[in-house]
Amino acid sequence: MNIIVCIKRVPDTADADISIDKSGKDIDKSGLAFDLNEWDSYAIEEAILLKEKFGGTVTVYSLGGEDSNESLRKCLAMGADDAIRLSDPAFAGGDGYATARALAEALRQKPFDLILTGTQAEDDGFGQVGAVIAEMLSIPHVSIVNRIEVQEKKVKAHRELEGGLEEVVEVDLPALLTIQTGINEPRYVSIMGIRKVAKKEIKVLGLSDLNLKPEEVGLSGSDIQLENLFLPPVGEGAEMMEGKPEEIAQKVFEILKDKGGMA
Amino acid sequence: MDFELTQEQKDIQKAAREFIQGEYDKEKILEWEKNHTFPKEVWKKACKLGFIGIHFPEEYGGQGYGITENILVVEEFCRKDSGVGIAVTLADFSSEVILRFGTPEQKKKYLVPVARGEFISGGAYTEPNHGSDITLMGTTAVRQGDSFVINGTKTFITNGTLADFFVVLCQTDPHAKPSYRGQCTILVEKGTKGLDATEITPKMGIRLTSTAELSFSDVRVPLTNLIGEENKGFYQVLEFFDESRIEIAAQGLGIAQGAFDRALDYAKQREQFGRKIVDFQITQHKLADMATKIETARLLTYKAAWNYDQGRIDPKLTSMAKMFAGKVAVEVADEAIQIFGGYGYITEYEVERFYRDAKITEIYEGTKEIQKNTIASALIGKLK
Amino acid sequence: MKEIMIVAEHRRGELRDVTWELISKGRQLSEAIQGELSVALLGKGVTSLAEALKFKANRVLLIEDDRLEYYNSETYERVLTQLITERKPVLTMIGHTATGMDFAPGLAAHLKLPLATDCIGIDAKEDTFSVIRQIYGGKINAAVSFLKKGPSYMVTVRAGAFPFVEKEPLPGEVISIPSPLTDEGLARRFLQYVEAATGEVDITQADILVAVGRGIKDADSIPMVKELADTIGGVLACSRPVVDKKWLPKGCQVGTSGKTVKPKVYIAIGISGAFQHVAGMKGSGTIIAINKDPKAPIFSVAQYGIVADLFKIVPVIKDKIKELKK
Repeated sequence: MNIIVCIKRVPDTADADISIDKSGKDIDKSGLAFDLNEWDSYAIEEAILLKEKFGGTVTVYSLGGEDSNESLRKCLAMGADDAIRLSDPAFAGGDGYATARALAEALRQKPFDLILTGTQAEDDGFGQVGAVIAEMLSIPHVSIVNRIEVQEKKVKAHRELEGGLEEVVEVDLPALLTIQTGINEPRYVSIMGIRKVAKKEIKVLGLSDLNLKPEEVGLSGSDIQLENLFLPPVGEGAEMMEGKPEEIAQKVFEILKDKGGMA
Repeated sequence: MDFELTQEQKDIQKAAREFIQGEYDKEKILEWEKNHTFPKEVWKKACKLGFIGIHFPEEYGGQGYGITENILVVEEFCRKDSGVGIAVTLADFSSEVILRFGTPEQKKKYLVPVARGEFISGGAYTEPNHGSDITLMGTTAVRQGDSFVINGTKTFITNGTLADFFVVLCQTDPHAKPSYRGQCTILVEKGTKGLDATEITPKMGIRLTSTAELSFSDVRVPLTNLIGEENKGFYQVLEFFDESRIEIAAQGLGIAQGAFDRALDYAKQREQFGRKIVDFQITQHKLADMATKIETARLLTYKAAWNYDQGRIDPKLTSMAKMFAGKVAVEVADEAIQIFGGYGYITEYEVERFYRDAKITEIYEGTKEIQKNTIASALIGKLK
Repeated sequence: MKEIMIVAEHRRGELRDVTWELISKGRQLSEAIQGELSVALLGKGVTSLAEALKFKANRVLLIEDDRLEYYNSETYERVLTQLITERKPVLTMIGHTATGMDFAPGLAAHLKLPLATDCIGIDAKEDTFSVIRQIYGGKINAAVSFLKKGPSYMVTVRAGAFPFVEKEPLPGEVISIPSPLTDEGLARRFLQYVEAATGEVDITQADILVAVGRGIKDADSIPMVKELADTIGGVLACSRPVVDKKWLPKGCQVGTSGKTVKPKVYIAIGISGAFQHVAGMKGSGTIIAINKDPKAPIFSVAQYGIVADLFKIVPVIKDKIKELKK
């Protein structure tokens, strides 16, 4: 089973203090740690688990600058066989659609049975790249997948819906699945993995390798464009409790008695 | 000159960081600290992932990297948690004596299980009557037929009650002049008749690892347990120190960085007099001093490691790194507690543990005074 | 006449809340552009839903087909491709839900319509629209414009972003449109719904919920929060990362992909307040949030906020309440 995984390197902002930079169009990324997008870490783990079970290869793709090699190498160290980076000045500023466009063209050149992507990225949160790639490659897709069973020439996938409900669907292969967090436990990178990676070359594909015109990718190939960033209104309505922890505890106690009917 | 780590080294650093971050569990660690428990699961996992024995050759279960890669792991582990970091990265303590001087058979027999997480190793050098001075050993090994018979006592032995085998420095020729020309290193396995280990407790820090007294009473081991050449034990151990002291420097470095990380995080949150304490210049200056010391210790430690990996043994540089990084660990952890104020004194806030763990890096593997002797003698020339 | 089309979302015979939210926002936008509002309803045996929607819009476009009994991205794409191609709505609005996320991107790409996903704000602007999206997990808002020019656009809209507002009824009608679907084989097939395994305790029934999030850092700190919950007679719940890490069972999860809860008091501990979580708990009577980041989005839905290290404050609150209860 030959599997392709599309990944992205993103700043880790879950616990970080973030601010908007001077351009007003980006966040200040200095001092932020970068890592493989959380959803993608589950996607690559799932691909490697499938490979371990059924054989075949795992090839990782990412669109991005040289920094993205770090995340591609991580995937290789986890157990992927090959990594390919799409890089070209023309790709800059692309939205989800333009990113999918470039990736789809690259994937066309490679035979595969299954493509996995994360359901969305931590930074842009478009949640569209996977489904658009599938559309462009004319293959079926299932999004928000939290369980996979591979069968003869098809895959049974559990899709996470709202309210604890799951939808079970089957799709013919080749297909694309977007992977939800929690589907597995992504492994640690081992030193053995790093040694293996050290000898690997990450192939770079540019615009000319992909049969694309500059106007089809990057900002000019995008549906949407960022105008400016601003901080969401915060703290509206929340009365901030201050004082000694004991005083705060006293207040919480009163709220619980008053509003929660605590005995 | 290039101060950058290689891509591979950065990957190793990141892998170590992610692993220890994933395994870090504050409540568990506080529990282990209270009960003096070795973090066995974390150690086993670290071995499985190749972090332990990373500097052993592949044929002996290792990853074929150098001491630079090893100390990157040590630094990251100790940075996230001084207790777990020290305990886990010392699980292969003294294996290097076998690695550098042992026979292929000894390496296969002992190093492979150490890298796999099946064996913990130990080194028995210090004696109750001689601390860092190992020129004359009270522990003797006498040849009897095809065996050595060992008698004596060793103290402050890291991994004492955990290790599966020890490298023991013994006086084999009590009449040798000078005395250190009559010493050998000999392998003794756990469970050998006459070997007894007693935990030394309570102690200030490093409570997740064992520190014990070993007593040898007619302990009989085969002559083939001799490591390397006869009467070269003293020189082997000194050469081992040139390597191990860099690792201890990396412990200090990691502890300092970990204490700093926590202090910085706290300073950004804590408010006093209506302002975040990080907004006070006095806090800013403290942080600047701490960061500068850490960076200096890092440069020295990395340089010592790099130098070793170039095949050059420079006791002066190693001792400088060990002495300075240990001092920085203590000073930075001390200042971190100060930034935390009263909370810093409380176990839950961790920096007091970093402080207690930091102190050992100024003591074991040669006190800072011994390091100064080494540095001075290299500067001035042989003192004798 | 300019038309704004929303795609109704329903499951197991019921319209989903996002449909009403889309109608409210769609109606406001259609008025702003002096256009009309249509609701596309795809399904099998859904005339009662069509009736329910009828007077909320200018028309309900009803496509019924046995093959539409269960949602399927492929059948939806085929039906909506025809509908949008024929009617050319200036804007198609779809929920950014498990369903909308699944079919909207492919549909837009297929029709070559410019798409903006997960919008929390939409404004009509001459011949185009400007939207607001959230990035970096809700920490930053982004004002976004369409670069590609219409005449048709598509947006997916975050559930809960626009409240349903009752307005005077419209002279709606239900227009039945023949289904373009054939028996031609689908590459994707619906098999069944399954309920995710839940824990023993039903968090939807509790009066007081104590929920923990990513801020708890490790599994062993859960008991500390459980103790607080026990002390105050509450039930333990959590946000998604805690379930992903398998520290608590799926049945404890509050949020879009977990349970929707409305306890009298909800205490959110170490939960940043990603919209997926907020969607599941914003209906709570009183919300108290404890987070060390004063900028955490959770504070904008909470009535009471405590900026503190949870490891420090939670034991104090627990002990103090224990003492006060005596």
